[in-house]
Amino acid sequence: MKNRLIVGLFLAVCLIQVVTPLSMIIKRENTLNNGQQFKFKTAPVDPYDAFRGRYVALRIENDYLPVADQKEFIKGQTVYALINVDDQGFAAFTAAVTQRPKGKPYIKAKVRYVSQGKVYLDLPIDRYYMEEKAAPAAERVYRQRSRRNKQDAYVIVKIKDGFAVIEGLYIAGQRIEDAVKQDIEK
Amino acid sequence: MSKRAIKWLYQELPALVAKNILNQEAADRIKRYYGDVKSSSKIAVMLIIGGTLGALLIGLGIILLLAHNWEDLSRFTRTVLSIAPLVAGQGLVAWVLLKRPGSQAFTEGSATFLSLMVGASIALISQTYNIPGDTGTFILTWMLLIIPLTYIMNASLPAVIYLIGITAWSGTYWDDPAKAVLFWPLAAITTPHFIWALRREIYTLRSTMLSLVMVVCISFAASFSLGKTSPGSWVVIFPAIYATFYFLGWQKFNKITTNWQRPLRLIGAVGLFILAFQFTFRGSWQYLDRYAYGLKRNISGFGALPDHIITLAIITMVILLFYDNLKRKNWTIALFGAVPVLAILAYFLRESSIFLPVIIFNVYLLALSLSRIILGARNNSLASINSGMLMLAILIIARFFDSGINFILKGLVFIIVGIGFLVGNVILARRIGGAK
Repeated sequence: MKNRLIVGLFLAVCLIQVVTPLSMIIKRENTLNNGQQFKFKTAPVDPYDAFRGRYVALRIENDYLPVADQKEFIKGQTVYALINVDDQGFAAFTAAVTQRPKGKPYIKAKVRYVSQGKVYLDLPIDRYYMEEKAAPAAERVYRQRSRRNKQDAYVIVKIKDGFAVIEGLYIAGQRIEDAVKQDIEK
Repeated sequence: MSKRAIKWLYQELPALVAKNILNQEAADRIKRYYGDVKSSSKIAVMLIIGGTLGALLIGLGIILLLAHNWEDLSRFTRTVLSIAPLVAGQGLVAWVLLKRPGSQAFTEGSATFLSLMVGASIALISQTYNIPGDTGTFILTWMLLIIPLTYIMNASLPAVIYLIGITAWSGTYWDDPAKAVLFWPLAAITTPHFIWALRREIYTLRSTMLSLVMVVCISFAASFSLGKTSPGSWVVIFPAIYATFYFLGWQKFNKITTNWQRPLRLIGAVGLFILAFQFTFRGSWQYLDRYAYGLKRNISGFGALPDHIITLAIITMVILLFYDNLKRKNWTIALFGAVPVLAILAYFLRESSIFLPVIIFNVYLLALSLSRIILGARNNSLASINSGMLMLAILIIARFFDSGINFILKGLVFIIVGIGFLVGNVILARRIGGAK
C-alpha cells in the first residue's frame, strides 16, 4: 500500500519534471512560429555561464524611454514597452506603460533603473548562446567590423503577446554563425 | 557515548560477567540501555560514497557536454536531447524504487543523477531559446523540481543539492533582502528529512553531512538575507546564528551528544571567535551604521518585516539556549556562547561611548582564552590548552599592533596583564606546593 503511494507520488513528480521543460519549449516554439518579427540594433560581448555554456551578451541600443512622471516607475517593476519600426526596418521603443497595451506591438520588460526622467529597461533579450569557441570569435568579428564605422549588428526577435524569443543574431546582414565560420577559415 | 565506546563496552561485558564484576542480569540491562549497535560495514559506506560520486560526476559531465552548445543540432534534436536524459534519470530512479528499494547506494546515486538531469534539461532549453540570463529563476525552478525526490526516496543528496541551490538563489538577490529572505521558508522544507535522518541513524555519515551542509548554507544565506533592513544589526545576528550552532552542537539528545553535532560545534566555535575578535577592534563599532552591504535603497515598513521576524526568532532562540546552559551550570559552554548576549549589550552601549564595546570584547576574549587554558590544565586536555593559547596569542598580537590605542595606555595594560599572569603563576605554584 505504502509502496503504491510512493510510486504514485513519484510518477506525479516525474510528470511535473517533464512538463516544466516541455512547457518552456512549447511557449517559445509558439512565439517563434506565430510571433511578429522585429529587428533590434545591438552590441555583442562574450561572457560565460557554467551551466548553460557560452553566450554573447547583447546590449540593445536605446534601451531607455523618456517618461512624463518618473515617480510612477520603480526598480524591478514590470512595464510594457511599445515598439515602433523605423524606415530602415529597425525596431525602436516609443513609450513605457504600466498597463498591458492592446492592438499595438509591445515587449514585456522590467525596470532596470530610473534616472533623469528616463526609464532604463531590463529587456528579456540579453544573451545569445553560441558554440564554445564561436562565442569569443563572435565578439572579435563584431569589433573588427565596427572599427570600420559600420556598427550594424542586430538581433531578430519574434514577439507574441509581449513575450520575446530570439531567432538569430546578424552582423552586416549575415548570420553570426556564418560570419564566425568565415573568420575562422581566414 | 560514542558508537565506538559502546562497541568496546559490549566486547568487555562477557569478561566482566566471567570475573563476577557484573552479573548476567546487569550486563543485559546495560545492553538494553544502550541498544543495538548497528554496524554498517565499511564496504557499504564505500559503496554509497562511490555510487554518489560516480552519479555526480557523470551528471556534471553531461551538463558540461550540453553546455558546449553543438551548433549543428536542429531545434528538434535539442528538444529530444533536453528531455531524454531527464526521462533516463527518471527510469533509473523508478527501477531503484521497484527493484532496489533498500539499497542506500542505489537510492542516493540515482537520486543524484536525476537531480542533475533536471538541471541539464532546463539549461539546454535556456541555451536553445536564448532565455534571458535570470540565474535566480533558473536555479529556483531546478531546485523546486528535485526536492520532492528527497521525500519520495528518502535520499539525502537531493536535499544537499537543494540547500546549496537555494543558498545560491538567495545570493542572486543579495541586494533585494525582501526576496532573499525567502531562503528561510525554502530551507525549512528540508527540516522533516533532517529530523527523519537523525531519528533513524543518529551516528551516521548522512546526518553529519546534512548538518555540515546546513550550517554552511545558513551562514551564507544569513549574509544574503538578514540584517540589511536595519544597518548594524549584523553584529547581533551573526553571533546569534553561530552561538545557536554551538549550543545545538552541545545539546544532549537522549542524554548524549553525537557525531552529527560536530560540524555545528566546530563551525559555531570558530565563527564565534572570529566575530568576537573582530569586535575587539574599534573600527568595527565606529563604522557600524555605515556598513549596510552596499545596499543602495532603504527598505522599511512591510518589506522589512520578514527580516525582522526571522532576526527576532534567531535571537530569541539563542537567548533561550544560553539560559538553558546557565541553568544546567554548563559554564564553559555558556561562556563561549555568550558572544551574542555581549553583542546585544555592546550594540546599545556604543551610543554612549565607542570604547565600551571594545573593552567588553577584549576582556571577554581574554577571559575566554584563559578559561580554556585553565580548563585544559585541569582536565589534561592539550587541545583545550592549545586552542586557548592560540586565541590569546591572536588577541595579544592584534592589540600590540593596534594603532587605535595610544602607546602609553597599551603599554600599561600589557604590563598589568603580564603582572596578573605572574601573580597567578605564583599562587598556582604555592597551591601545588601546599598540596604536596
